[in-house]
Amino acid sequence: MGKSRLSNNIRRLRFEYNEMTQQQLAEKVGVTRQTIIAMEQDRYSPSLELAFRIALVFGVPLEQVFSYTPDDA
Amino acid sequence: MSSQEKNISVSLVTFSLILGYFLLRIFQLSQGGNFDSAHVFRLWGIIIVLAIVATIVLTIVLTILTYIGATIYEAIKTGDENPKIEDIKDERDQLIDLKGTRITYTVHSLGVLIAMLAFVFGQPALVMFSLLILSGLLAQIIGDISRLVLYRRGV
Repeated sequence: MGKSRLSNNIRRLRFEYNEMTQQQLAEKVGVTRQTIIAMEQDRYSPSLELAFRIALVFGVPLEQVFSYTPDDA
Repeated sequence: MSSQEKNISVSLVTFSLILGYFLLRIFQLSQGGNFDSAHVFRLWGIIIVLAIVATIVLTIVLTILTYIGATIYEAIKTGDENPKIEDIKDERDQLIDLKGTRITYTVHSLGVLIAMLAFVFGQPALVMFSLLILSGLLAQIIGDISRLVLYRRGV
């Protein structure tokens, strides 16, 4: 529960990608807008499949969307 | 607040009311000296029926009403004749539901254990049955609260 160790650049990528709205991204990847909001606020770590779908929408590798910070970092 | 959260909130209020009614009736029965099998089992039946009806109403009727209400609200707000309503249950909703269900089962299992222990240690069967119902209602309420917390604080 709480802040995830997985952070992401979804918000930045949305704006770089024709200022895509959260709703538009949600529809493209098949989740609710609330889930996109939760991910942007690092309150939800998506499944691997959803992570790949998001990366595919922006046309970038997964590492450019998500980054993982280990406990001891 | 998403439609899922609204449904959970309504479920929470409904089961809290049922719990309140149960506790009130148990208190009245014990105060009036009517804590006997006839009264307690009748109350048991009422609570079970209320819980079943509430579950059916919440899962079917409320989902439909929420959808209709949200559609009308969005249509008025956006002026669109066919507004898009988020009625899908995605992986986050399913994960939260799963965790909430796990908490519900854990609380209920503990309640069943306490009820059985009470019986083993000499309490009458009526107390055991009352504790069973109490743990079932508490488990549902705690499960709903945990789901709402997970929606707010993150999974």
